[in-house]
Amino acid sequence: METVNQLLQLFPYAILGSIFAGMICGFLGTFVVSQRVVFLGATLTQVSVAGVAFSFLHVVNIEAIIGSIFGINITDHSFLHNFEPAFFSLLFAVIVVLIFSQTYRQKVLTQDAILGIIFVVAVALRIMFIQKSPIAEVSEVESILKGDILFIGQSQFLTLGGIFLFILIVFTVFQKQLKFVTFDADSASAHGINSRLWLLFFYIVVGMGISLTTRFVGDVFTFAYLIIPASIGLLLAKKVIHVFLIALIVGAVIPPISIFLAFKFDFSSGPTAVVVAFILFLVVYSVKKLKG
Amino acid sequence: MEKEIIKFSDVTIGYGKKKIIENINVSIYENDFIGIVGPNGAGKTTFLRTLLGNLKPLSGTIQKNTHRFGYVPQRDTVQPLLPYTVYDVVMMGRYSLMGVFSKPTKKDWNAVDASLEHVGIQHLKNFNYNSLSGGQRQRTLIARALAVEPNILILDEPTNGMDTPSHYSLLDLISKLHDENKLTILLVSHLLSDVANGVKRLILMDKDFFQFGLIDEVLSEENLRKTYSSEFHVNRINGEYVITSKHGN
Repeated sequence: METVNQLLQLFPYAILGSIFAGMICGFLGTFVVSQRVVFLGATLTQVSVAGVAFSFLHVVNIEAIIGSIFGINITDHSFLHNFEPAFFSLLFAVIVVLIFSQTYRQKVLTQDAILGIIFVVAVALRIMFIQKSPIAEVSEVESILKGDILFIGQSQFLTLGGIFLFILIVFTVFQKQLKFVTFDADSASAHGINSRLWLLFFYIVVGMGISLTTRFVGDVFTFAYLIIPASIGLLLAKKVIHVFLIALIVGAVIPPISIFLAFKFDFSSGPTAVVVAFILFLVVYSVKKLKG
Repeated sequence: MEKEIIKFSDVTIGYGKKKIIENINVSIYENDFIGIVGPNGAGKTTFLRTLLGNLKPLSGTIQKNTHRFGYVPQRDTVQPLLPYTVYDVVMMGRYSLMGVFSKPTKKDWNAVDASLEHVGIQHLKNFNYNSLSGGQRQRTLIARALAVEPNILILDEPTNGMDTPSHYSLLDLISKLHDENKLTILLVSHLLSDVANGVKRLILMDKDFFQFGLIDEVLSEENLRKTYSSEFHVNRINGEYVITSKHGN
């Protein structure tokens, strides 16, 4: 109990933020896994990290541009002061989503091969951007740009809450179109729904969610929580709504428990969250297998 | 003569810059029943995608009157991981008729129920789509296409990979939809036997070869040789076409 109290006092936003991050990934992951585009999730997390690394080069000073447009001093504004990494993370992710959405037109390479190329290029660019970063040691920048659950402060918590709310609203309001195009895009087109446009919209929302979550909680946490809660949902549920509910619950419950365990046993919180989720997955999978 | 609803004039179909078939001239009429036959890779699906508007023709014009398509894709292309029920899948057919922000109404539920009834799977409506047999899945996809209340029903290889009873039962259902509901039907198949004794008119296609007309005119040994690069006997026994290979198989 003492550890819990300590955690609540020291990292209240980290605990709440991890719940939102887990739910964002669990919800989007249900689409990512069921659409069989898991590698897109992996690629987007790496592209997002590359975007953050790019922001450290300060090639384009977005914060200064915003400051001059709105006549505000960015350094006084905690949210906008951290805007540039999130902006480039998002920008890089959206560019990749736009490329990915066009890949079905060509038959020279598989989508996996294209995503694989983007994945390794993103990793390589991240390393190159960090090496040229003027601000600090490579290892220091690595740890900053890869995000950490415990670094979640008030503004990150509010941003994650906003993203979760936005995603929930988008998928509730446009559930008919998104359900049909993700189920069977060709038939949706034949029946008069603009599949190309709706799929693009779908992937942009997914890309946005993944990139911003990666920025705040790191690529390992984000990728793991895109896959594991959704996979547990698919293993357990017999109805579509239950898949989403299970993924959301796993995404919400496991991260704070993991922070507690990480704090208690002196581990890093992100990897602990991944391992705890994996143990739960293993239990569910084994029970399911044993039951036949 | 029935009313012309779709007209292809000198249309070339293909992907990007790659032409698959050139100079297609086809007229489709109300209450038509057209079979589209050709070997694998002949361009049948490309032709359908062009007809549906999912692909732009490389050249030529396609005139279409106002109508609704009901589309039944190849069953193997629909393999969801999410546990959608049969009812969920058929309801998707209604989505294009609703407003962007609208929810299903009683009219939509009734249309879904009627479509399920029509194809004889009302009792499966709460079943998981993934748990169904191939024939039941195909009927679900046909019910979804019927839920659109279409003027034209397009079926892409509907009998692929089915056991014999399901195969013929499905062909009977398609004929019934044409005869009783007066639906215009386009049936794509690589199996000649599926279409030869059911359709009114026939498209025989392969790369660089395209024939269209009444079945008696198009279904000839010479056209089959050009389409399949193989020799066939075409005979009529008791009014039914019997097509056999000249190689005795």
